Amino acid sequence: MKVWFLAAMVIALAGTGARAADPRYPDWPCTQAKVPEISLAAVWAGPPLGDVQSKWKDDAKVSALVAKLSARKTPLDEAEKSVKEFLAASASDKTTNAKLLFAGLFDTLNAQRSQVMNGLERVSRKQREAADEIREETLQLQALQGATPRDEAKVEALSNELIWKTRIFEDRHKVVRFVCEVPTSIDHRLFALGRVIQQEME
Amino acid sequence: MVLATAAAPAYAFIAYVSNEKSNTVSVIDTDSWTVTKTIKVGQRPRGIDFTRDGKFVMVAVGDDDTIQVIDAKTQSVVDSLPSGPDPELFAQDAAGKILYVANENDNTVTVIDLEKRARIGDIQVGVEPEGMTISPDGKTLINTSETTNMAHFIDTASRQIVANVLVDARPRFAEFKHDSSEVWVSSEIGGTVSIIDPKKREVIGKVTFEIPGLRKEAIQPVGIGMTKDDKTAFIALGPANRIAVVDVATRKVTKYLLVGQRVWHVAFTPDEKYLLTTNGVSNDVSVIDVAAQKVIKTIQVGELPWGVTIAP
Repeated sequence: MKVWFLAAMVIALAGTGARAADPRYPDWPCTQAKVPEISLAAVWAGPPLGDVQSKWKDDAKVSALVAKLSARKTPLDEAEKSVKEFLAASASDKTTNAKLLFAGLFDTLNAQRSQVMNGLERVSRKQREAADEIREETLQLQALQGATPRDEAKVEALSNELIWKTRIFEDRHKVVRFVCEVPTSIDHRLFALGRVIQQEME
Repeated sequence: MVLATAAAPAYAFIAYVSNEKSNTVSVIDTDSWTVTKTIKVGQRPRGIDFTRDGKFVMVAVGDDDTIQVIDAKTQSVVDSLPSGPDPELFAQDAAGKILYVANENDNTVTVIDLEKRARIGDIQVGVEPEGMTISPDGKTLINTSETTNMAHFIDTASRQIVANVLVDARPRFAEFKHDSSEVWVSSEIGGTVSIIDPKKREVIGKVTFEIPGLRKEAIQPVGIGMTKDDKTAFIALGPANRIAVVDVATRKVTKYLLVGQRVWHVAFTPDEKYLLTTNGVSNDVSVIDVAAQKVIKTIQVGELPWGVTIAP
C-alpha cells in the first residue's frame, strides 16, 4: 500500500517540476526564476573595472579577502565590517583596492552561483531519470501482484526496492528545494558587499 | 559611530514600511535610523499611508481582503476598513475624509468614508486597478489599470470615468505635480513614465531611462516621489536597483543612485531632507539625502518591503 502511495507522489512531484519550468531552462528545478548571470551594472555603479578586472588574483591580500568574504560561512555583517576595515587601511590606494576587491567578489560569487545552478540542474536530470524508473517499476510490481500464481518473494523484493528508491527521491527533492535558495543568497551577498564598497569609496 | 558626530537632524520622524512577505510592518525612527518596532499585520501588506491627522496608519492586506488600521500611538492594529477583494493601493482626499481603494481582483475602486469607517460606494474601472492618486483640488481621481494599460480619470463628485488615457505597458503608479499641471504615470513593463496634461487628458511627454550595461527589461519604473517645489522627481526602477533623479522641467534623468535590490516605492520625510526607498529583494530601506542626492544609509527591515509612509 505504502509503495503505491509513494510512487504516485513521485510522479506528482515530477509533474509539478515540469509545469513550473521556464522553457529556456528545462532542467531548472526551482520556483525561483533562473537568472544565469548577474550583470555588473545591476550591482555596480562605481568607476569602470576594465583596468583591474583580471588583476585582483595577483594581489595576495585582495584574493585572500575575496575568498573569506565569498564564503557562505562568513556572516554578512562580519563580511561588511571586513570590507570597511580593509578600505579604511588602504589610504591612497583606496580606489584601486576597492575596484580590485569588487572585481574579485564579482568573479568569485558569479562563478559560485553558476556552480550551484549547474549542480541543481544535474540533480534535476537525475531526479527525472529516477522518476521514470520508479514509474516503470511500479507498473512491473502491479503486474507481479496481479499474476497467478503470485511470486511472493519477487513482490516483496520489488516492493522494498521501490520504497528505497522513493525515499532517495524524496530526500533529494527536499535538498533541491533548500539549495534553490542559494543563488538568491549569493545575489544578496554580492549586492550588499558591492554597496558597502561603493559607499566607502565616496 | 560616524553619524553621531555629524550635525544633529532637525526632527525625528516615524516611518512605517509594509513587508509583503513577512506580513509585518516595520517602524523606523528617522533620528537613529533604526527599526524600533515590528508590527504583525494581515496577509500580504502592500499599500500603506498615514491618515492626514497622523493618528493612524492604514495598510492594505490584500490576501485578507481588507485594510487594517494601526494606531500610531500604541503601534498596534486597532480596526479594519471595508475594502473590496485584494486591495493593493489607495488614495485619500486632501481633507482625509474619503478613501479610494483599488481592488486588484474585482476591477473596482471602493469608496470609504474614513470618519464612519464605512463603505459608501464602488466605481467600476479597468482590469486590475493599481495606481491611485487624487488631484490637489480633489476633483479628479486617477486610477491606472495594469492590464488595459490606461490611466482612468474619474470625477470624484459623480464617481464616473470621464476619460481614459492610454500609456505604456503595465502602469503602476500615478503622481500629480503639486501645481496640478501634470500627472506622471510609471509603466513597469514599458519602462517609461508618461506625462499627462490633466486638462487635455493626453500624453504630452515621456521620461525614458538608460543605464549602460543593463538590459531594457531590467528597468521597471514603479514608485515616484516629487519635491514640493516640483523641481525634482525620484523614480524607483525596480530590478535596475536604482533611483532615477529627474529634472522635472526638462524631463531628463540627471543621476542614477544605486539603492537596493528591486526598489519599489519611495516617501519623503515631511521636511524633504530625506527620501526613503523600499528594496524588495534585499529586504532593506535606503535613505537618500535629497539635497546631496546621495544614499546615506541602509536599514534592514522584514521580507519583501513594499510600501512606505512617514508621519506628517
